[in-house]
Amino acid sequence: MVERRLIVLVVAIVLWSAAVIEKLAALQLVHHQEYAQKARAHQEVVRTLPAPRGTIFDRSGHPLAMSLPIESVTVNPMKLPDLGVAADLLEQVLHMRGSGLYEKLKQAHDNNRGYFVVKHQVTPEEAVNVRTLPVDWIKIENTSQRHYPKGPLAAHVLGGVDFSERGNAGVEKALDGMLHGEPGQEMLLTDVKRRGIESRQATEPKPGTSIWLTINEQVQFEAEQRLAAAVVKNNATSGSVVVMIPQTGDILALASYPAFDPNDPPEMEKDPKREDHATSVPFEPGSVFKVITLSAALETTRLGPETPIDCGNGILNLPGGRTIHEAHGGFGILSMAEVLKHSSNIGAIRVGATVGKQNMYDYVRRFGFAQLTGIPLPGESRGKLRKLPDWRGTSLASISMGSEVSVTTIQIAQAISVIANGGLLVKPRLVLKQGNQTVPPQQPVRVIKPETAFTMRQMMEGVVMPGGTAYPEARLDGYSSAGKTGSAQIFDTDTKRYTHTYNGSFAGMAPLTNPAIVVVVTLNGTHGDLGYGGRAAAPVFHTLAMEALRIMEVPRDLPDDPVQTATAPKPDTESDVAIAGLDDGPNILQDADDDEKPAGAVRGPTVPNFKGMTMRDVLAEAASRGLTVLPNGSGIARVQDPPAGSVLREGERIRVRFAR
Amino acid sequence: MATLPAFLRRMEAPGPEAVAKPAHIRAERDPYQLRTLPQDRVFFFCKKIDNSRLVREPDPQARKACWSAIGVASLAVALLAGVLIPGAASRISGYRLESLRAEERRLTDERRSLELQEAELLSPQRLNALAHNQNLVTPRSDQVFHLESGRPNAAVAMVKK
Repeated sequence: MVERRLIVLVVAIVLWSAAVIEKLAALQLVHHQEYAQKARAHQEVVRTLPAPRGTIFDRSGHPLAMSLPIESVTVNPMKLPDLGVAADLLEQVLHMRGSGLYEKLKQAHDNNRGYFVVKHQVTPEEAVNVRTLPVDWIKIENTSQRHYPKGPLAAHVLGGVDFSERGNAGVEKALDGMLHGEPGQEMLLTDVKRRGIESRQATEPKPGTSIWLTINEQVQFEAEQRLAAAVVKNNATSGSVVVMIPQTGDILALASYPAFDPNDPPEMEKDPKREDHATSVPFEPGSVFKVITLSAALETTRLGPETPIDCGNGILNLPGGRTIHEAHGGFGILSMAEVLKHSSNIGAIRVGATVGKQNMYDYVRRFGFAQLTGIPLPGESRGKLRKLPDWRGTSLASISMGSEVSVTTIQIAQAISVIANGGLLVKPRLVLKQGNQTVPPQQPVRVIKPETAFTMRQMMEGVVMPGGTAYPEARLDGYSSAGKTGSAQIFDTDTKRYTHTYNGSFAGMAPLTNPAIVVVVTLNGTHGDLGYGGRAAAPVFHTLAMEALRIMEVPRDLPDDPVQTATAPKPDTESDVAIAGLDDGPNILQDADDDEKPAGAVRGPTVPNFKGMTMRDVLAEAASRGLTVLPNGSGIARVQDPPAGSVLREGERIRVRFAR
Repeated sequence: MATLPAFLRRMEAPGPEAVAKPAHIRAERDPYQLRTLPQDRVFFFCKKIDNSRLVREPDPQARKACWSAIGVASLAVALLAGVLIPGAASRISGYRLESLRAEERRLTDERRSLELQEAELLSPQRLNALAHNQNLVTPRSDQVFHLESGRPNAAVAMVKK
């Protein structure tokens, strides 16, 4: 009896064990993958590892663009249990009352959209609120957002990014491959309370490389401020400024107007504010280009600074029976240095004729025109220079004085740097460092002989000296400087004629002995007498160069008071020639304007002698005459600019320095 | 046959000599008698037995068995601990590690956020506006004084309009 009971018990235990083993085998062997996956789905969370886009710094390490991680709330409108309930819930949790979320969700649902971003950049509190909701149809995505902490500063250099943080303009686009990071993924094992226990990296994140630009934040800011003020003051449509270190090619500032804030989305698909006028918009340079003509002449002909050039008293007969009349009287015999100083068109044409087509073409190319500078900005224009066989009868004459060729502001800066740099062409450099790796400047290429560059520098100094087309606007306090003005008439493509609006420009360098900076200023669409390069652009050069030299702590090489060197007023015949169209259109030399006001037009109040007067007396005297005085210092008036007796130009103010 | 309570009751019933004794004389309490149970007439007595003279003989087998049991138990505990402790420690470390990682990520994000704030505060545009509000202007070259730190007259120079 007992044995029978034992047998029954043993059989029962064996059967029970067999059932357990069978179930175990089913769990561990047969359905292992299925249950393992289910367990993982319950316990493991896939987490995105952020790989922020690289930060963009200026040359001193000030951040200009950086990315911050943000959390966004998204839903799948097609999987929402009830649109109204979902909208109410989300509006309450995300503080979006009155945002019309229901309508938006309904629209997304009706359009069969499977993805809808309810709110970008939720606050940490909102994220916690969403996470605590017992629903599975709301998702929180970790993304990152690009910020430009300095607002519109260097906006055209930086460019911008699209919704997926891919660069769409500027350095952001040109160096997107380097800046863009690849986020990684990790599997996080969690407990029942969704606390992380153990994680393993599935994909390693690759953060973007940070970039240090050659831009100096302060110089850039000054450039943008001065440029904006000049564009507004001169009723110009746009403008651009480039500040460059000639020895290394480092771009300290690259400003374009109108500007924009890269934090804001584009107002339209083709936003004109986002056009970079310094690198992307070519224009006819005008008289600035005479620097190239004269450099080629010094290199390839026997002409020297003192060589007399017959300027034909303002009349030039071109081959083909065409006669050119220089505006406002013209000059007789000028030395080549004076041709540059007074910016004589006919003088430049004669010099160009001596240089010849082939040499002119070669030197224009050697100075880097009609080629990309290689600056890492998308949309850079190479400008335009016709191939030699396509030159027409008047092409050499036109190009000699800066017409029939289009250039960008940065190309002019590169060319002027050749003069400043002893004849060596250094490509502009915008990126100083990539990650931990310094980007070396490109090997310089000799374009002209050092003595030619030195001679050109001296000749360009004449432009800012008394009698020059940029005096006194481009004369610096305490620094020697040199430069060239340009006023190019803008060609109207509709009427096929040159208009009386100008591209006023000034390209200069300072200090003269060992130039620390090259500054090129271009104002597009200036009008009237004050729209010429010497009047509109040279003052920008003055203030900006002074500020940049101060920031760079460049020692002064002149006494502080250059006004004392101001002696005689400018003769009426001085002219910075405007661009003349020598094509089939009207002869614009006949009505072209110079940077200097025409003789008959230079009429205005005479500047009184303020020397020895107190500030109160000076201000009273100026007020009685309707003049504007800019006092500086305190005590007795010691120096004034313009000097007593000179005719005050329209818009010009009198600067009086007081001392005890 | 009398039952045990009846027998005990009978035994407790006073005899003729006891009846003769005066009622006010209380019988002396048996020192070995325990307290009586309530509502029951059952009496227990406790008798002290002195076994101090007895000496237990040492049993080497029992001692060995005892130590063996202790050893086996210790080994089992050690083995169990050896098996369980690493897992538990790993789990605790995992919690700690993930918590630290989350903290590191939070601090990194916070640092970047603060860097952004700092950059915004040091924006030239903002500084320029502040300087403008304070009537500060760029000094002329003759207004610049290079201050030597440490000297008593060293001070911050400001140039106002």
